Amino acid sequence: MIEYVKYWKGDIKLDDVEILVRNLNKTYGNIKAVDSLDFLVKRTECLGLLGPNGAGKSTTMKTIYGVSVPDECQDTDISIFGFHPRKDALKIKALAGIVPQQDNLDSELNVKDNLAIYAKFYGISAQLARTRIEELLSFMELQDKAKARVQELSGGMQRRLTIARALINNPRLLILDEPTTGLDPQVRHLIWNKIRELQEKGVTILLSTHYMEEAFQICNRIIIMDKGKKILEGPPRELLAGSIEKYVMEIHSAQRGTRDYQSYCTEYGLRYECFQDTVFIYSNEAVALSVLGDQLPEHDYHIRPANLEDLFLKVTGRSLNELQ
Amino acid sequence: MNCNKAYQVPPWWKRVGSVWYRHVRVYNANFFSNTITPFLEPLILLTALGIGLGSYLEDFEGMNYVLFLASGLIVTTAMFTAAYECTFGTFIRLEFDKVYDGILGAPISTDDLIIGEILFAGTKGFFFAFAVLIVGWLTGIITYPLSIMAAGAGFLCGVMFAAISMFITSAVNNINHFNFYFTGLLSPMFFFSGVVFPIDNLPAALRYFAEMLPLTHVVRISRAFCVPGGLKIELFLDLLYIAVFILFFGYLAVKKLKRRLIY
Repeated sequence: MIEYVKYWKGDIKLDDVEILVRNLNKTYGNIKAVDSLDFLVKRTECLGLLGPNGAGKSTTMKTIYGVSVPDECQDTDISIFGFHPRKDALKIKALAGIVPQQDNLDSELNVKDNLAIYAKFYGISAQLARTRIEELLSFMELQDKAKARVQELSGGMQRRLTIARALINNPRLLILDEPTTGLDPQVRHLIWNKIRELQEKGVTILLSTHYMEEAFQICNRIIIMDKGKKILEGPPRELLAGSIEKYVMEIHSAQRGTRDYQSYCTEYGLRYECFQDTVFIYSNEAVALSVLGDQLPEHDYHIRPANLEDLFLKVTGRSLNELQ
Repeated sequence: MNCNKAYQVPPWWKRVGSVWYRHVRVYNANFFSNTITPFLEPLILLTALGIGLGSYLEDFEGMNYVLFLASGLIVTTAMFTAAYECTFGTFIRLEFDKVYDGILGAPISTDDLIIGEILFAGTKGFFFAFAVLIVGWLTGIITYPLSIMAAGAGFLCGVMFAAISMFITSAVNNINHFNFYFTGLLSPMFFFSGVVFPIDNLPAALRYFAEMLPLTHVVRISRAFCVPGGLKIELFLDLLYIAVFILFFGYLAVKKLKRRLIY
């Protein structure tokens, strides 16, 4: 008998589920880091967790490989490849690759030795490790750096090495916690390409990010989290189409002028938002915005298609929380 | 790449061994500076205290003062190196370098991690003890062939102080607080465990105090191997103390440090 479980839309076969999380809760002191979170990750899917700092993304990921202990709740259910992280963390980790938020390579050692030592943690034989390391260095385009000490590497190279390290065991699931934070555009694009390549080879990917662009580029589906709760879920394009207007107009130094944008928007049925000195006006019709724009000095405003970042800010709010 | 491979978790001894191996490799990355110091320190102490102070002292317990001191230094160097490794070293790996976050992403449990680290500190203890022995042999201070076994006491001493140091590290949130441990506990231990002078002639109260100190028991074992006829049946009591100490503090270290790693 084939068992089915409820996916974000419709049902899927239980056999196709790599990660199942039901009613996950985590409290640190009196802060609720994760709040009744439910989600599934289908095999070979790339799911992105999006959210501001402190949204509970890292905690959720750590729970999956057993480094964070969730609150005891009666109907909490976590299953990764059918294993429970409290009982079978080692089995889960043997099958997964983990890229932590902070690179924690052995900086005194060279690139190859870093990978060789990590291979030993998986019980990979020295011979097999050697061929794996060659493969991974060329996959992550680090072959020229094999003998370089980690402390001589740039931030982007260290990140690539950390990803290579997570791939040493040919994982079927790759967990990446903010894989491209702080990296330059070239390296980010390279890492995105590699993640896509891995996904095509059948690796399931769970990543967290606060770059909307990143989620748009590589995720099949995203979950926007805020204060430990899931706020929105779906494929990035569908979310954009369904949850936010097509265009946005930004008016800078809006306080300087005397115009009352808010009543203008109410009058014409446009969504209005003001943050500090900038006014944001949203509409599905670009014309509605350009009519207003024509009345303003040219360098004071900017009309553009709405992106995931606008959606993100719409659902998580513009003001900072205590962890940002 | 084949992604349908069955999982394979290495057996526990391989996992502990891989953690140990990681530490050895990182330690050896600075081989020169890490290898010279264990030889320099005993050389300085033996020259200053042994030859300088020792020339004023008569032989006792069937040995001259330099030999008495050297046979104690074998284990005190092991004590200090293991204690540094498992306080400052562990704390830096835990809080600053986040080394453990990396290791725990692999199929390694916190138990494997902590036991591997304690064994590495024991290995360092062995190595440091061995360095003192080499200095002792080369200078002609230590001549008894069985003294090579004293390096084993260095290993036991390293494991003991690794266990208690890791336990202390599990409760420390500020790296400067380790100074209390070193000044308040280890330095007095150096003086009251029969390393620089015998404890047998101390007033009764101080003697009982000395018997409670862990270092006293490893010093006794180390010394017994350095002189002919030193091995006595009572040494099993010292071994028993050491075994109980290691198991007790090792258990506490594993239990308490786990809460720092998985929360």
